Amino acid sequence: MLNAKPLLDAPQRLRRLRPVVSHGRLVIGRAVKPADKAEVQTAADGAKKPGKDGAKKQDNKVAQSASSPEEIRDIRLKKAEDLRGQGLEPYAYGFDRTHFTKDLQELYAELPAGAEDEGAVPVAVAGRVVAKRVMGKLAFLSLRDDKGQIQLYVDRNRLDACQPDGFSAVKGLVDVGDIVGCSGTVKRTEKGELSVVATGLRVLTKSLLPLPDKWHGLSDVEKRYRQRYLDLIMTAEVRDTFRARSRIISTLRRQLEERGFIEVETPVLESVAGGADARPFRTFHNSLGRDLTLRIATELHLKRLVVGGFERVFELGRVFRNEGLSSRHNPEFTSVEIYQAFADYNDMMTLTEELIRACALEVRGSAQVSYQGVPIDFSQPFRRVTMAELVREATGLDFEEKMAAAREAAAAGGDGGGAAAVLEETRAAAEAAILAHPDKEVRKSLAKVRSAPSLGHLLNELFEAVGEAGCVQPTFVCEHPLEISPLAKPHRTKPGVTERFELFIYGREHANAFSELTDPVDQRTRFEAQVARHNAAFAERQKAKLEAQAAGQEAPADSEDEYEVALDSDFITALEYGMPPTGGLGIGVDRLVMLLTDSPSIRDVIAFPTMN
Amino acid sequence: MRRAAQLWFSSLRVITNRIASEGQHLPTAAALRPACSTWQTAWRVADLWHRDYTRMATDNYVLPEQWSEDLKDEKGEPMSKSEFKRRQKAQRVAAEKAEKEAAKAAAAAAAPPKPAKEDGPALEDDSNEITDPTAYFENRVRYINAKKAKGVNPYPHKFHVSMSLPDYIAKYGSLESGQQETESTVSVAGRIFSKRASGSKLLFYDLKADGVKIQIMADARNSELSLEAFTAVHNECKRGDIVGVEGFPGKSKKGELSIFPRKFVLLSPCLHMPPSAHFGLKDQETRYRQRYLDLIVNSDVRSIFQTRSRIIQFVRRFLDTRGFLEVETPMMNMIPGGAAARPFITHHNDLDMKLYMRIAPELFLKMLVIGGLERVYEIGRQFRNEGIDLTHNPEFTTCEFYQAYADYKDLLDMTETMVSQMVLELKGSYKIQYHPEGPEKPAIEIDFTPPWRRISMVSGLEECLGIKLPTDLESEEARQLLADLCVKHNVNCPAPQTTARLLDKLVGEFLEEQCVNPTFICDHPQLMSPLAKWHRELPNMTERFELFINKREVCNAYTELNDPIKQRELFQDQAKAKSAGDDEAMFIDDNFCTALEYGLPPTGGWGMGIDRMTMLLTDTCNIKEVLLFPAMKPEENGPKKEGDS
Repeated sequence: MLNAKPLLDAPQRLRRLRPVVSHGRLVIGRAVKPADKAEVQTAADGAKKPGKDGAKKQDNKVAQSASSPEEIRDIRLKKAEDLRGQGLEPYAYGFDRTHFTKDLQELYAELPAGAEDEGAVPVAVAGRVVAKRVMGKLAFLSLRDDKGQIQLYVDRNRLDACQPDGFSAVKGLVDVGDIVGCSGTVKRTEKGELSVVATGLRVLTKSLLPLPDKWHGLSDVEKRYRQRYLDLIMTAEVRDTFRARSRIISTLRRQLEERGFIEVETPVLESVAGGADARPFRTFHNSLGRDLTLRIATELHLKRLVVGGFERVFELGRVFRNEGLSSRHNPEFTSVEIYQAFADYNDMMTLTEELIRACALEVRGSAQVSYQGVPIDFSQPFRRVTMAELVREATGLDFEEKMAAAREAAAAGGDGGGAAAVLEETRAAAEAAILAHPDKEVRKSLAKVRSAPSLGHLLNELFEAVGEAGCVQPTFVCEHPLEISPLAKPHRTKPGVTERFELFIYGREHANAFSELTDPVDQRTRFEAQVARHNAAFAERQKAKLEAQAAGQEAPADSEDEYEVALDSDFITALEYGMPPTGGLGIGVDRLVMLLTDSPSIRDVIAFPTMN
Repeated sequence: MRRAAQLWFSSLRVITNRIASEGQHLPTAAALRPACSTWQTAWRVADLWHRDYTRMATDNYVLPEQWSEDLKDEKGEPMSKSEFKRRQKAQRVAAEKAEKEAAKAAAAAAAPPKPAKEDGPALEDDSNEITDPTAYFENRVRYINAKKAKGVNPYPHKFHVSMSLPDYIAKYGSLESGQQETESTVSVAGRIFSKRASGSKLLFYDLKADGVKIQIMADARNSELSLEAFTAVHNECKRGDIVGVEGFPGKSKKGELSIFPRKFVLLSPCLHMPPSAHFGLKDQETRYRQRYLDLIVNSDVRSIFQTRSRIIQFVRRFLDTRGFLEVETPMMNMIPGGAAARPFITHHNDLDMKLYMRIAPELFLKMLVIGGLERVYEIGRQFRNEGIDLTHNPEFTTCEFYQAYADYKDLLDMTETMVSQMVLELKGSYKIQYHPEGPEKPAIEIDFTPPWRRISMVSGLEECLGIKLPTDLESEEARQLLADLCVKHNVNCPAPQTTARLLDKLVGEFLEEQCVNPTFICDHPQLMSPLAKWHRELPNMTERFELFINKREVCNAYTELNDPIKQRELFQDQAKAKSAGDDEAMFIDDNFCTALEYGLPPTGGWGMGIDRMTMLLTDTCNIKEVLLFPAMKPEENGPKKEGDS
């Protein structure tokens, strides 16, 4: 199966992409050569930092001999005191920046090597020092800000002329990791490096902890997520990922607003969790003395708004599911749900194509992208294929035929034995197909196939087992069985299936959409069937648990379905007031960002993922 | 005339009730929930409204006793057996009704009622609505079941809409009275708000969508259908239904913009009697619990949420153009940081871990600034486990932004610019009318013209009270002085009477009261502001401001405290306050302190309550008015029935 690669791949991938220096981009293009005999300090604080006076020399000796973060912290705390002693607050209040470094790089792109723009008004830049070298009367700092990086060229004579003792402060009190502000003129060095020649330089925020020595290829990948701020400082790709995330979301918003959709906010805390089949988080509201659940989908509230006359609505926001963590699952994730009155699932397919294509163009500049080395093409209309067709391709089992046979058997009357026989016969064939499958993962789904309560469930289980993984290029898998689609409208011509699709890319579900079920009578029947089935199974397991306990045996393990569900009858009342024919679409934003930023895990695209 | 209509109505109700009871065998009708809260009010309202109308039936046609193959109707068209039966039934109905009327008339000794005409293929309209909500509902459920039984889907999958109603009005609004563009074909869709029949071939509907309305002039002569089918289609359609219309544009002779349908499709029937457009839906509980009804009936509600959406859009655009990056930080955390409030607690089953719903995104956003994203913002939901009142909902929306190298002075200016431009763009003026105590009470004017007044908190209070507060606010002496002031001025401060809480109460009483027009209260003492940076000039104060409008806090901002040592100390003080019984004191977040040790650039941070801003710009004084689905107390014994009261 083409599932996400394990998490450990992430740093390996980063290493592969940037094999040059261990500190990544911390060292500016022109790599530092030890032969320069310069005093080099990069992200790690182990380097030599001879100070001006004896005391500092001693500090630095300590730093050299033993550079545990705690000791470095003590030294830097002392430097902060020294700065205060000189009347310089080590935690400044602000800084008037005139340019981002990127602006300067663009403004002075034509400046020849060796030239200095002396006539110009001084510029002021600010950012984090990510590398530092001192060579006699010169010091070079690499300064990084939000948009890029530039070199600070610190010439003792020129700095001291404007800021007495400035150079020694840079030498002794500025560490890699500090936030500094620097004013000066722009010059390109002989070696071609655009620089700001410092005529003023001061520490704006004294950092106390050294930036990590080794970050990329860190064996403890979790540290990257737990201390995301370090990950952002150390890795350009991580910063790019979150910028891309923001642009994708803003593209989705813009595209929808251009089409006349209005963005709304519906409750996160609700009394009945509906709109999906998932275990909700529970909480308690003290003053109301009331149990609440966190929403698992925004669907039912948004549809109420369509009933209320908002014909095009969407909500882009967080939903919560009380499930385990994986490379594709985080307990809180971002989805966009879109509802358009007088549209159907065909319109939603077109909308999906347009939205995803627009996002790809925005962040990748092309509708053809690659994900984990696999080219994915969004430029063409996506493939449209029915679920039954995909299962037939994979197993030879024709569910349309089986469903028709079951209907005929049911129509022929009797005790329903005929339809049951069709189910069992199909199940036997399905089990055989699963057992014969070469992939061990596929064979794991046998239990689910065995327990499928209906032909529709069976079809879905088979599709998940053998069909999903093959959908690498964008594929609309359509016409899900009625039994597994309680909110979708029955297909207008084909019995037993719904007007629904799921979008699969790289074997993963990215979107889910239907012609919304608008018939309240049908909706109630389907909800009741779903609730009854779910709660009966839950009660059975609870009973088994109690019996096992009574017998002194070990209770069976909790399954994912260990929760009760309830029916949102107010939603049905809303439908009874009449909802126009409506197309609804949900897109998993995190997975879309994964796809378009070539990130293997959902944790790479959530700034602060949930950690164990 | 009025009276006659009323009599006619009461008879109709009896009949429909009878029909309804016959229909009890239908399982779906019985299974569907019976009368819910709104229609109890709705039907009374609708009933009243109907009394303003009388029914107009004009044709004179005598139905024979027996159906025959060659039976013709009043137009000379052949009549089907089912139509004959329908008419027969209608006659029976008319007879019963006449009986009833006679009885009533006799009882009341009133003038003899006009014999109602109930012949011909009558077009039904609002005036013959069933007035009992249960009967109404069951009747309609029976109708959709009958359709399904015939293999007709009462909920069509798709209706192609070629033009939205606002576009329709924009395009055809300038037609002359009586002008019709019969060559054009347009399809529109929406909800029926009223239905009036005029004779047997003409119907007028009000069709609403996207907050606007046009008229449907359904004339049998324009329809693709036979008169019989036309009558059938239109008699199926009731007030509240969603319909699709394909036809040509034009204006009625009276100048009303209309669509003249060739095709008329019922897309989604409204099974309940809708509240009358005439009397509206006023009950607050119902309005909030069934917001969809509120939106259908009360058109100004829709505009509140449009304004809300525009406010958020404005803030986004304002920040986006200034190079800010929108981010998302966790809503569930191990520690609820960034503010002082009681959090919601939940539990992750798989990890078997206690989690708190966030009370503010502040600490995470600052960590992103440490990570080098110099300008970030998040617009999103916060959660506080507190009581519900006019300005508090357990979940609410804020915008927080953080800008490296800016301080609170920069943010003062930025706030003035943002909010005043927002008001100007949305309201067309810097000055707005606001009803702080509701629409019935007097309005005030709020003037957003910049610059706004700035009050330094402690000196402002000193001036106001004519006292001098000690420099060392942390001392017991200062605390005692404040406590005495509270007693003296009759300001209630519940225990624990910490200096911060006492000050907060006094400021609320004496300074916030002055802040009707936008006013900044600045320079809060450090002990009230554990995340703000100490003031560069005023000892023991911080570089912080809160923006008050209409005496309510709308924004809160400060130069961020970025000295990790100082931050830890202030967190320790909070921990002390917490153990001393102040359950609103902050939790300590050690991870955040560690992050600060890697260096947070000088940063200005800012937060705005989107709900409160929306209240100001929509002239509402209850937060529930600006939340689509506000948190409500659980209904006692199921849905409340106003009709019972």
